[in-house]
Amino acid sequence: MAEDLIFAKNEIRFLRELVRHKVDFMIIGLSAAALQGAPVVTQDVDLWFADLAAPQLTKVLNKVKSIYIPPMGNNPPMFAGDGVKLFDIVMHVHGLGEYAQVKKQAIKISLGDFKVPVLPLELIIKSKQAAGRAKDKLVLPVLKDALKTIKSEQH
Amino acid sequence: MRISLEAIKNKCRQQNITLTELLKQAGVSRNAFYTLARVDFVLPKSIKAIAERLNISPSEFLTEDDRELEKMKLLLKKADDLAGKYKNTDQDNIRHTLLLLQEPPIERLRRALIRGRRPDIRQE
Repeated sequence: MAEDLIFAKNEIRFLRELVRHKVDFMIIGLSAAALQGAPVVTQDVDLWFADLAAPQLTKVLNKVKSIYIPPMGNNPPMFAGDGVKLFDIVMHVHGLGEYAQVKKQAIKISLGDFKVPVLPLELIIKSKQAAGRAKDKLVLPVLKDALKTIKSEQH
Repeated sequence: MRISLEAIKNKCRQQNITLTELLKQAGVSRNAFYTLARVDFVLPKSIKAIAERLNISPSEFLTEDDRELEKMKLLLKKADDLAGKYKNTDQDNIRHTLLLLQEPPIERLRRALIRGRRPDIRQE
């Protein structure tokens, strides 16, 4: 039963409100890869924001009864509250440059009645290659194979 | 349960072919087709008898497994072709990607999260 609750109403509502309130963000990492069809597994949905202090983001968090927790010690900033637990805040993405430049290349993916900006698979691969951690190296072949398959399907 | 001529003609229009072309491509003669089209119940009599006994429509117990099988065969063939085209790819990755592309994006993400958050039994 718990499986049915993963990424359900509350999480979708949070993303919908981000889009509705025109918060400048995009989904990155393996969640973004999964949305595009890559057969990967992930524990969280990584979000990259243009400005974590944006008033619109605060409005959305209030609306979904959640809060922003700034970085403490070695811990990155995070959200707290039902419906936002699955989301991680990412401050920097390896190998891709500034947010504004990367955002121009984001693709829109439909989540039913709204679309979310998502980092394209090509750039996810580039960032994993740049990060070069053991877990990134493990998933790279899967991402590359998925990219070839998806491109073939698009032609 | 009979053939709906209107439904077939609509499908032909959608696929931009005439009924004559359809029958020719399907290898069905006009005589055979119109004979079938006049029949009130095109399924075998035994199906009709079972449906009547259960007081339900045959469509309630007829499945389209063959269609699913055909779809899966096509997908596996495509996976084979892509693995042949792109050397050094893992065919499992290709097959799983093709399967996921048939799902809506939100379902793809849910699958990734469900598997990712499942406790790792190897560590227990």
